[in-house]
Amino acid sequence: MNFRTFILGLAAAFGLPWLCLIVLPVMKYQQLTPVAYDKEKDGVEGMFPPAPVNGQGQLVYVREGCNQCHTQMIRPSQLGLDGWYKGWGQDQEARPVAARPNVLRDYLGEKYALLGIQRVGPDLTNFGWRAPEADALHVHLYAPRSVHDWSTMPAYTQLYKLQKIQGPASDRALKLPKKFAPPAGYEVVPTPEADRLVEYLLSLKRDYPVPGQSAAVAASPATK
Amino acid sequence: MQTTPATSDTELQADNLRRAAIDKSVKGPVLFLFTNGAFWLMLSTLLGVLAAIKLVEPEFLGNCQYISYGRLQPAHINALVYGWGIQAALGVMLWIMARRSGQELKHGKSLLITAGVFWNITITVGIVAILLGKSTSIEWLEMPKFVWPVLLACFLCYAWPIARMFGRAFRPEGFMVSTWYILGACFWFPWIFITANVALHCLPGLGALGAGIDAWYIHGVILLFFVPVGIGGAYYFIPKITGQPIASAQLASAGFWTLAILGGWTGMQKYMGGPLPAWMTAIGAATGVLLLIPVGLVGLNHHLTTLGKHSAVASSPTLRFIFFGALFYPVSGFILALNSAFWTGSALQFTQSWYSFQVVSVYGFFSMCVFGAIYYIVPRLSGCEWLSVRLIRNHFWFSVYGVSTIVVMSLVAGWQQGADLNNPEHWDQSFMNHVVNSRAYVVSRAVAWALISFSNLMFLLHLLLMVAGLGRRSSAPTLLHREHDEHALPAHA
Repeated sequence: MNFRTFILGLAAAFGLPWLCLIVLPVMKYQQLTPVAYDKEKDGVEGMFPPAPVNGQGQLVYVREGCNQCHTQMIRPSQLGLDGWYKGWGQDQEARPVAARPNVLRDYLGEKYALLGIQRVGPDLTNFGWRAPEADALHVHLYAPRSVHDWSTMPAYTQLYKLQKIQGPASDRALKLPKKFAPPAGYEVVPTPEADRLVEYLLSLKRDYPVPGQSAAVAASPATK
Repeated sequence: MQTTPATSDTELQADNLRRAAIDKSVKGPVLFLFTNGAFWLMLSTLLGVLAAIKLVEPEFLGNCQYISYGRLQPAHINALVYGWGIQAALGVMLWIMARRSGQELKHGKSLLITAGVFWNITITVGIVAILLGKSTSIEWLEMPKFVWPVLLACFLCYAWPIARMFGRAFRPEGFMVSTWYILGACFWFPWIFITANVALHCLPGLGALGAGIDAWYIHGVILLFFVPVGIGGAYYFIPKITGQPIASAQLASAGFWTLAILGGWTGMQKYMGGPLPAWMTAIGAATGVLLLIPVGLVGLNHHLTTLGKHSAVASSPTLRFIFFGALFYPVSGFILALNSAFWTGSALQFTQSWYSFQVVSVYGFFSMCVFGAIYYIVPRLSGCEWLSVRLIRNHFWFSVYGVSTIVVMSLVAGWQQGADLNNPEHWDQSFMNHVVNSRAYVVSRAVAWALISFSNLMFLLHLLLMVAGLGRRSSAPTLLHREHDEHALPAHA
């Protein structure tokens, strides 16, 4: 073996997986587009996926590294019970119903799908269905331990403004329990960034039926 | 290094002079990389302590946004990988390649130092940017996207002379397995790095495929950069210190090529059951398990080479670190296989076992081998011997116990998390069980990183004294067992 064959060997050994696993799939992915539902087969109308991702709010999610602890990916039943967790899909009834596992098109149009690194906290794939009202979500982000005293989620106080009450109190002020409330005469209001983040979290609904899958007929989108 | 023993004193003298000249030619860049790397290692372990504490008690040191877990953890990993890992690896690669191929570094020394300076400045900017809230949340590529072209250019400044040395000294009949691994690392890293960065930063959004490429990138950097450098170092130093040739050339060659062929396929199994096409995760999982083959081949070869020479492990600091580093290699392969195989991976997916794999391969295996190499290389470059046996010994024991604790605890924690997550009784519960049950493991992680930080402080101080030329003036190397001096090995040139 001479020097040239050695280098060729190195290149070939790595080049093959590089081509098959990265280059070709990337080229194919570029051609992926939203598809339309077939009213007769799927029972619903419109496009799949229905809406582009909320980019502004996702930027805050990215910046704070939320994906270190929260995943956005439902696994099929044979790998995990994710889909069976109460509230992890659009069916919010108190009975075990499987949310469907995710497909490639669920993340179409996202710059980088935040599938997550660890699952320290619950999965957020379909958080929008089970999320509380925006105000309650703001309270959760500002003081996680006011919701669960065992929570290990950081308090994102930098997304909120502590301000002196001048005149009538702001109607956006967070309704915090006593332990977490600001001093008298002050109020906590969300910044625009917090609003974008909450909008993003509320928009997380990735279990719309997949066109052409038989399950689509059985589980047409609930209205909420 | 020389297989033919010198026949006369003059030849031995000439040999030593030649080695001294090679050492002198690479002294500046290598010591620069080691010292800066040691600083980053120190910082990374401290960030590791803090991140682990914040994962248990998020209000520790107040609700400051710059040290929330979501920013600390990537800063910790990036400092470990780019600040310490790649930097120290380049130093070891440059020195081993120069020595093994018998080439002096002729010119471009100032270019290498400049590249090193730029590397450090860029990493500093990148990590500060993560803490300030400019993270990209792409695992191992969290630094802002302007960082990668600079890092690539700096890396190539080192890779080019290393490859040149290899090319000049290549002999088809001679078997030089350590340089094979090092050249492989030089060759594959830029390729992986460019691919991942172009795909994730330059192309329009790749969605879930991007996440798969990122997982592939992490496995690629570990398996085709850190692992080759670690094995290359082990193949160089184990025969040199035990005085035995590598047990089997066939095993060495097979271990190299199986790693080369399998390494690029694995990674996407991190998202098994996810939105990626099933064949991609399946092939990643299959190769993740098949990688046990190169792991076994190399492990067997190292075992056969050290057989009967274990007294040298007790006395030589270099061999002791490399021996235990090489022991961590099978462990890392085993953890990779556990994470990859579907029947265990489904329990370990998205748990701390992922962290366990990263720590065992980057710290347990790679860094321990590099520590061993540094204990060998630095005295030859600085012209003095390590000052204190006790400092080396403490560094060793705290590192071994610390890393083992993190790896075992994270793996067990992963199993616990997976069992909690897949427990049908939890289907309508809040996440309280998962959070409370994994707390104790993270506390042990914090303690272990604290022990490692302590050991790294000693290592850093020791290294700084050596670089300043304040080491012991002696011709005898610092060995860990003085009382057995009659068995001590001869000083290695």
